[in-house]
Amino acid sequence: MQEQGEGSETEVTWEDQQNINKFGRLNNRFHELDDDIKIAKETDDNLEDASNELILTDEEVVRFQIGEVFAHVPKDEVESKIEQMKQVTTQKLEKLEEKESVLAQMAELKKILYGKFKDSINLEDD
Amino acid sequence: MASSSSASGSGSVVTERRGIPGAQFVEDVHTYLTDSGLDVGSALAFLQERLQQYKLVEMKLLAQQRDLQAKIPDIEKCLDIVATLQAKKGTGEELIADFEVSEGIYSRARIEETDCVCLWLGANVMLEYSLDEATSLLQKNLDNARASLEVLIADLQFLRDQVTITQVTIARVYNWDVHQRRIQQAATATATAQN
Repeated sequence: MQEQGEGSETEVTWEDQQNINKFGRLNNRFHELDDDIKIAKETDDNLEDASNELILTDEEVVRFQIGEVFAHVPKDEVESKIEQMKQVTTQKLEKLEEKESVLAQMAELKKILYGKFKDSINLEDD
Repeated sequence: MASSSSASGSGSVVTERRGIPGAQFVEDVHTYLTDSGLDVGSALAFLQERLQQYKLVEMKLLAQQRDLQAKIPDIEKCLDIVATLQAKKGTGEELIADFEVSEGIYSRARIEETDCVCLWLGANVMLEYSLDEATSLLQKNLDNARASLEVLIADLQFLRDQVTITQVTIARVYNWDVHQRRIQQAATATATAQN
């Protein structure tokens, strides 16, 4: 009796290879998006804390960081600058919703590739 | 074993990109080994070496990417400051700023209305520019850095695809070899049993 198992003869077509490549690329993109989302959320939290502190403080002039220096800026201006920065971060977070579609595409490809290769392929995150 | 495909030609393969050789997709392992005249061991060694080369290039590209990703926020900060100075220009006010003299030690600076800034160009060279010129130079640098980053990311994607193709080919050659040995063993066993 000839043993099955290792040395399976499932042919890998160019289309299969392209699917595998695409899965790899999507997986990388997914991890990048995860990191980006983490950073954006941190920035958002910091801005939230900053605007809360601003409400509590009774100073008229606030040291606001521009580049490497802290410029003395009147409180109202700082408030509007923080609002602007919060909007930018919210927009960034919205773009990062792309992560959902990446996950969906990856699930599709997993179905196709596991369907053809079953045990011969491993698509899980180690 | 599936019959080898005739005149396949992986037509959509890019042979190389900016110095990175493309990985040849193998339609059929048996044909690949006969065409290249390699035995399994040499083929695997060649593919492994290719994989190592790809890894080296990947390290280099990742380092370049990290540099660019650090440079871009720096340029954006410079643009911010120039924009702030420009905003102050009409008002007649001075800009008071606290800056770091040394680690943990800050001092106060009074920046009067000005028409120009000095930009550090690197290599111990600093040039004076008007506010408008500085803004356009910094913007140009920012755009270039962003464009380079995009090209770099595309290079990395191409490279990763080639790595995946090579890894899959290595697995297929190895599996094919195991399969061949099994067939031979079975054939020998049958021959012995018949005698």
